[in-house]
Amino acid sequence: MRQAATHKQTVIEVRDLTMRFGQKLVHENINLSVEQGEILAIVGASGSGKSTLLREMVMLQQPSSGSVRVLGQEITRARESEILLTRQRTGVLFQNGALFGGMNVLSNVGTPLREHTRLSDRVIDEIACLKLSLTGLSPADGLLFPNQLSGGMRKRAALARAIALDPELLFLDEPTSGLDPLSADGFDQLILDLKASLGPTIVLVTHDMDSLWQVADMVILLGEARLIANGTMNELAGSKEPAVKRFFQGPRGRAAQASA
Amino acid sequence: MDKTAAPVRDPAGISIDGRVLYCFGQWTVRYLQDLEKSQARLRLPGSADITLDMAGVASIDSGGAWLLLRIVERFEKDGAKVTIASLTPHAAELLDLLKQTGFTRDKLPQLKSAPLLARIGRSAHEGTDYALNMLAFIGAIGRVFLRQLIRPGRIRWRQISDSLAEAGYKALGIVGLLSFLLGIVIAYQGGIQLRQYGASLFIADLVGLSMVRELAPLITAIIIAGRTGSAYTAQIGTMKVTEELDAWRSMGIDPLELLVLPKLLALIIAMPLLTVYADIMGVLGGMVMANSQLDLSFSTYLQRIGEAITLNSYMIGIGKTPVFAAIVATIGCYQGFQVSGSAESVGRRTTVSVVQSIFAVIVVDAIFSVAFSYLGM
Repeated sequence: MRQAATHKQTVIEVRDLTMRFGQKLVHENINLSVEQGEILAIVGASGSGKSTLLREMVMLQQPSSGSVRVLGQEITRARESEILLTRQRTGVLFQNGALFGGMNVLSNVGTPLREHTRLSDRVIDEIACLKLSLTGLSPADGLLFPNQLSGGMRKRAALARAIALDPELLFLDEPTSGLDPLSADGFDQLILDLKASLGPTIVLVTHDMDSLWQVADMVILLGEARLIANGTMNELAGSKEPAVKRFFQGPRGRAAQASA
Repeated sequence: MDKTAAPVRDPAGISIDGRVLYCFGQWTVRYLQDLEKSQARLRLPGSADITLDMAGVASIDSGGAWLLLRIVERFEKDGAKVTIASLTPHAAELLDLLKQTGFTRDKLPQLKSAPLLARIGRSAHEGTDYALNMLAFIGAIGRVFLRQLIRPGRIRWRQISDSLAEAGYKALGIVGLLSFLLGIVIAYQGGIQLRQYGASLFIADLVGLSMVRELAPLITAIIIAGRTGSAYTAQIGTMKVTEELDAWRSMGIDPLELLVLPKLLALIIAMPLLTVYADIMGVLGGMVMANSQLDLSFSTYLQRIGEAITLNSYMIGIGKTPVFAAIVATIGCYQGFQVSGSAESVGRRTTVSVVQSIFAVIVVDAIFSVAFSYLGM
């Protein structure tokens, strides 16, 4: 069982995180923490380093300096074996799905199970089918190959793969990008449903104002190579700071707020 | 749920006490494998009521919940009435969730494999399809070529010269080195035999004729197939995956005209030139070896080369190479267009491209040999 709800744990803790590629400063002195069971959204203009920050948290990119603690494990200085254990407790949904093209959807979803457990193929396939059902696909879709899927189905299949091991922490990179508004709404609802049923802590990067209002508990705004603001959607939407206002008070931001 | 003091790494299991099954341990995917194997052997006498006591379960995830459902289902099929006791709220939620999906074991999709006859038919059909598509592709290139001949202003000199530099100039190193080594090998192997008959001088005939007529064109074509043909497939294939080919088409630019024809023409120009270079390097390789192994002086060797290699042999060797070039470029580009969907397909097509190019080059070379011997050349 996961930890009791009364005693919330910090799942991610980022301290003084700085990243530069050569001369280019991506972000500097980022501090943030994510509590267990929370949905944190990272927003910011294109090129503000959202995806880089996400890649640092999922251990795909080594930061220049600072510390990142994920599920109690300091990952910037961890050994490969310690990182592997942390990876098994996290799931990642990549922006374009990153489904493996050479295998069908069922095998894609079953891959983490096949690699990290010693269950029989039959049970792995059954669990994979369950995960597909949870993300709104049918078991029969499992026989399709990724290039036969529509954009929305691909995201769902990729999400099924991300939750294959019932991760405690789920990273979603632009979960609703490339989806039509109806599918995007459906996907937001799916995220909330999964959150309610499987209970993972979720960190997502998004551009989608509607998503922010729908799913995010906490929002951080990146820009000018730093963390500009940090708070709930209501706090940020009401902020008087110019940079925050520019981001949330544009026509799209207000329309999303009105419909939320 | 947290009241148990079970150790964290305790694998999932079940112990039987009368009609009560005590479940214990970690019912999570990483600790389920023993239980999965042993649960099939769980047997209970008769078909009376059974209680599954979950009090000892330290934690459960959706994999564990699924296994629990499977066990319940199996006992119920045997006619038993199953009660699950001491279920935590979280576990109950998980069970409900899995039931809500409506997925049951018999809904697992099965790959249907086609019967043998259908598979044979399909592969024959694919083979014919491939040949016809290839013909259509060659025809389409021919049409684009004719169109450009009529309006020479549309010939893409820039692309041709780029391809020429890439496929020709940059291949000089590897073609030269390998031909030189090939010359050395032939001279060494042949020299041992010839010396026994006191016919050392004829090493020039051996190296010269075999290089110029057969080996230089062949080794050049094989290197180019591996080096340039594969690059053509990978480049065009990747452009297909990223929709760049569609982007060109949408601007009214035919990818055949922009990508394929310049590559084909460039390779047809480059291959004979590379072969001339390979001829020279091969003969030089033989010369070095003849000098060190057979004590043949450079001047004697070169004089003999001049007598041994007739213009006829030389031209036959060079004359084959534009054909080889056309084969390598056409197959390389064609396979590029055959890429579909994924990155994996690019890799597979690239392999196919190289294998087919080399295969076709050697077959065509054999046909040339037979034809030339018929013609007495």
